[in-house]
Amino acid sequence: MADSGSPDSEPTTRTLLRRVLDTADPSTPRRPRSARAGAQRALLETPSSRRLSSQTKTTARRRSQRIRSIGKLAHVQASGYLEEQTPRTLLKNILLTAPESSIVMPKSVVKPGPAPQVVQPSSRESSRGSLELQLPELEPPTTLAPGLLAPGRRKQRLRLSVFQEGMDKGLPLSQESRGNADASSLTSSLNLTFATPLQPQSVQRPGLARRPPTRRAVDVGAFLQDLRDTSLALAPPDTVLEDTQPFSQPLVGRSPSVHHSLPCPSHSGAEDAERAVSHRTRSTGPRLQNNSPGKPAQLLAGKAEVDALAMNFPNTSSSIFGEVGVEPLQDGVGGEAEERTEKSLSMSKVKEAARARGSARAQEPEGHTQVTEAEGSQGAIETKEPEGSSGDCPTSSRRVSPELASSTPEFLQAKRIQGLEPAPPPSTAVLPSEPLEPLSARLPPRARTPGPKACQNPYKTGLSHYAKLFSFYAKMPMEKKALEMVEKCLDKYFQHLCDDLEMFAAHAGRKTVRPEDLELLMRRQGLVTDQVSLHVLVERHLPLEYRQLLIPCAFSGNSVFPAQ
Amino acid sequence: MEEDDGAEEQQRFSYRQRLKAAVHYTVGCLCEEVALDKEIQFSKQAIAAISEVTFRQCENFAKDLEMFARHAKRSTINTEDVKLLARRSNSLLKYITEKNEEIAQFNLERKAKKKKKSEDENKNSTEQAEAGVVESEN
Repeated sequence: MADSGSPDSEPTTRTLLRRVLDTADPSTPRRPRSARAGAQRALLETPSSRRLSSQTKTTARRRSQRIRSIGKLAHVQASGYLEEQTPRTLLKNILLTAPESSIVMPKSVVKPGPAPQVVQPSSRESSRGSLELQLPELEPPTTLAPGLLAPGRRKQRLRLSVFQEGMDKGLPLSQESRGNADASSLTSSLNLTFATPLQPQSVQRPGLARRPPTRRAVDVGAFLQDLRDTSLALAPPDTVLEDTQPFSQPLVGRSPSVHHSLPCPSHSGAEDAERAVSHRTRSTGPRLQNNSPGKPAQLLAGKAEVDALAMNFPNTSSSIFGEVGVEPLQDGVGGEAEERTEKSLSMSKVKEAARARGSARAQEPEGHTQVTEAEGSQGAIETKEPEGSSGDCPTSSRRVSPELASSTPEFLQAKRIQGLEPAPPPSTAVLPSEPLEPLSARLPPRARTPGPKACQNPYKTGLSHYAKLFSFYAKMPMEKKALEMVEKCLDKYFQHLCDDLEMFAAHAGRKTVRPEDLELLMRRQGLVTDQVSLHVLVERHLPLEYRQLLIPCAFSGNSVFPAQ
Repeated sequence: MEEDDGAEEQQRFSYRQRLKAAVHYTVGCLCEEVALDKEIQFSKQAIAAISEVTFRQCENFAKDLEMFARHAKRSTINTEDVKLLARRSNSLLKYITEKNEEIAQFNLERKAKKKKKSEDENKNSTEQAEAGVVESEN
């Protein structure tokens, strides 16, 4: 995309640079990738080039030369988070971290002068809206360039150290450094952070601070914007997603579905969700764009929501979702999004619910398929009116999600709600009322149309989810009677489970079911053995957050008692 | 040391085998009774299978009982633990509960009897002593 030429008709830095690079001489045997880096840089520079005014060819050439040395310098520097030290990444870092009031050239990673073009004090039309760099003057860097080029490779290290000194000192670009062909010119002239682009970044742009910027042939600015919108969308539970979704089309029908998914992420912790969502959105975003050009908005939004949902569900699938889960997701999305049937909608809710509770053992494959289904139906949801869908599905999913969300704070008290992943879906289905009440109070603004069935028989809806999940995994059509039998069996099973828990609690002379009772139950079930302890299962199947809640040595904070 | 371990292992194994044999014998006797009752024959393999299953189930029961006792923060297995273990089967639970009550009652009675007996003995001894004194006096 970057190669398609910048919107500016005038010769921009980028185009010039490209021209130069194409004809660049391989003067850096040590940096075979400079050429490549240059090409990549060109891509990256598209946004930056927009910032720049028109440049001269000489400048561009100088810049290309500088890029090469930049590359060398970058190679020297050991910046851990930069996966590849290329001029491009360096420049990007500089762009990200350059202080606002500096007159330094953002592009002058290594050299003070790189792009005279870069220096545009005011032009900030970069597609990366998040970056706020003020470009320094163009003049100084230009003259410096040749000077800096003079020193050979041996000066690179020196340059770097000096550079970093300069960074620490935060010296603005000054004229005197220009005359210096030495590394000192770099220091004084540059005010760029070379080593830690992320630190200052975090201060200014918290949303981006957590992840190292990824290099991909994607409109990074748009992506970051999208990311922030998503994270913003996650934070306020009641905000309508449409306002912040990047490609959102303000559909009325979407808001309820948005409401559906939003409270879930908000409850279980926006931060974790944000992080995971951003990770997933990032990975899935471009793919989505590639795969479903027809419905980028919905799918992206859906993915963001579902990712948030998936993240928040204390489910293995969410923890191992990563890239693997995304692949099936794509196919599912493509296919499912087409259908837009009530069935798919209900299925998605089922999957979400099931995913939320977790089902026995088959966590991982389940997670993938569930998310696939959920994704597809999410896409469907957004364009459909949720009221059309069976009332019990949103209700039950709502119930499930709030259940899960609330379970985080109430976790230690009511472990039964969560159960432990390996345990067959515990009493959640049978005891939905208690955790639901506080949550339903919390989520009144949700525009719902609960079906009459759902209201009458909340237990039944929970079971029907599991039955549907069962039918999904059966991979063959199932009779209604068979599904009913499955529901009956599940009902008996859960009843039995809860009775056992109650008896265990009574046996210990208590009236409340505690985690110890659940551990005993799991032991009876054979999930916890002498070889496999409960903590092992917790670590294996639950997301990392629960580890801190459940495992004493994790939440003890390394405090030894008695103090020695 | 290793020899000791090996010997111990051997011992344990032989002990286990003896237990299994005992179970097998008991199961055989029970099966014979049932066979006479229902007029149906039991093959040897069936009896062996039943005894093997019984043995393993006993192991499970023992572990569960220990777990239950520990869950109730006790170090001794109680009738409560046994009842919890048998709750699955209604008839068995009822039976066990009845037996439990019987035993409890029996214990109570025995206690009462013992107490009474000791009181009588005391009385007797004092009477005898008094009688002796009286006699001597006389």
